[in-house]
Amino acid sequence: MTETQKRVLISKIVMVLSTLSALIGLAFLFWILYVLVTNGIDAINWDIFLYEGAPPGYAESGLKQALIGQLILVGVASLIGVPLGVLGGTYLSEYGQRSRLAETIRDISDIMMSAPSIVIGAFVYAVVVTPMGHFSGWAGVIALTIIMVPIILRTTDDMLHLVPGTLREAAFALGAPKYKVIIQVVYRGAKAGVLTGILLGVARVGGETAPLLFTSFNDNFMSTDLMEPMASLTVTMFNYATSPYEDWQQLGWAAAFILSMFILALNIIGRLIIMKKGK
Amino acid sequence: MATIINIPEAKAIQVNNLEFTYNGAPEPSLIDITMPIAKNSVTALIGPSGCGKTTLLRAFNRMHDLYPGHTYNKGEILFEGRNIIDPKEDLINLRIKIGMIFQKPTAFPMSIFDNVAYGLRLQGTKNKTELNDRVEKALKDAAIWKETADRLKDDANGLSGGQQQRLCIARAIAVEPDVLLFDEPTSALDPISTQGIERLVTELKEKMTIIIVTHNMQQAARVSDYTGFMYLGELIELGKTEEMFVTPKERLTNEYITGKFG
Ligand SMILES: Nc1ncnc2c1ncn2[C@@H]1O[C@H](COP(=O)(O)OP(=O)(O)OP(=O)(O)O)[C@@H](O)[C@H]1O
Ligand SMILES: [Mg+2]
Repeated sequence: MTETQKRVLISKIVMVLSTLSALIGLAFLFWILYVLVTNGIDAINWDIFLYEGAPPGYAESGLKQALIGQLILVGVASLIGVPLGVLGGTYLSEYGQRSRLAETIRDISDIMMSAPSIVIGAFVYAVVVTPMGHFSGWAGVIALTIIMVPIILRTTDDMLHLVPGTLREAAFALGAPKYKVIIQVVYRGAKAGVLTGILLGVARVGGETAPLLFTSFNDNFMSTDLMEPMASLTVTMFNYATSPYEDWQQLGWAAAFILSMFILALNIIGRLIIMKKGK
Repeated sequence: MATIINIPEAKAIQVNNLEFTYNGAPEPSLIDITMPIAKNSVTALIGPSGCGKTTLLRAFNRMHDLYPGHTYNKGEILFEGRNIIDPKEDLINLRIKIGMIFQKPTAFPMSIFDNVAYGLRLQGTKNKTELNDRVEKALKDAAIWKETADRLKDDANGLSGGQQQRLCIARAIAVEPDVLLFDEPTSALDPISTQGIERLVTELKEKMTIIIVTHNMQQAARVSDYTGFMYLGELIELGKTEEMFVTPKERLTNEYITGKFG
């Protein structure tokens, strides 16, 4: 065998192996989706959106409290976390730059991002739930916000950083004050990237269970009071899916399906924004 | 000693003994620069790479102040009778009067119209018809009206490199600056676009004072009235362009323009 033939052969082997591993990964993904969709579709009906949780065996049983609770928890966490993350990222990229304070914040966010979310749940349990004396929606919101902020902060920082410095200089050269340069030129240039970071951050906390177990806990009935425990799709799903009752398990599948579709949608929208930008 | 000719025209800017050091640099990048800039004329800055052309140009609109730590150690830049490197100088006002065009086009991520209107809106022009008129006039003056008239709402990044550079010129002249600084505005452009920009530069001097940095000596000869030759942070010679390229007074200038180094 000549050198060239050898190289061609090695290249072919590597290609086959890497294609195979990609296929295995994809196979698992589709398997998960298949199981979710087949079980989820069966379990979904209008009652889920109309009724609150009920004891096993009740016909009029649904996920209304979990859906509303999930929307409130993720919504309020986003209302707090998105501006905090975007403003923080703006500080890092446009003001702090390479300063020691900025680098420290970057390092801390990176650590926070890789921290297991259950640890954050335990932390919020200690500083919010224990002093209050009971679980509450607010505790859940705080835990989700803590998880969300570093993600949005770092993507915003990175995305703003990608806007060429000469674009900023050109705006300054026209007599623009710094805040206008940031809002009118830098944000505009980084719009797609920042938006994608926000969506991914929201999607990430949308799927969290562990920190909510410690904080907002659960409630079988409708509640919109953030001072009280609050249901979420994830915790409800955990409770129902692990229960021994057939009808609760069905509700668990429904919750899993709805949650996956929600997060899938956020991710797809994120990708679409990136693709549209790339054109 | 440098040879700086006396300028008969009125001066737009007068630099006196300017010394400038970048943050953390061991040596100053501008050394004892004394230089008049004639009003309503084109002054070219030439010299080998790293000699300080860009550094000097960016001192005129205090661009260096965007980054911490750079210092104007000594000297002054007189403009409208005041020293504009004074720390109390209002930089926003200064940059409205002294505009700048960069090496690479810097079209903002917005429509062609919004690009040109950007400086006008910053200054508070809100009136629709006034905005329309001034944008149109700027685009015409920058010789890009024909190509853009029917696509003003399109994203500026859809234009070619040469068109974007002319758009940037339109954006800069829309606010009617007194001085316009060009830093190698054609080095990223093809010959045809370059010709267009050069023609523009010579036309614009009727309305404003122009300082242009260029690596290209033919370009300096074509567009400028005065040429300054810089070397290692110093201004070696400033003369009338037609004289300097034929009979330079300084040995270094002669060696540079005859291609002995650079
Ligand atoms: N931001 C900076 N920090 C430190 N030193 C710098 C900085 N920018 C430029 N310099 C140095 O200052 C000197 C002058 O640089 P300048 O960019 O003004 O040269 P130039 O004449 O414009 O060169 P070119 O023709 O390559 O554009 C060089 O020695 C350069 O290394
Ligand atoms: Mg330069």
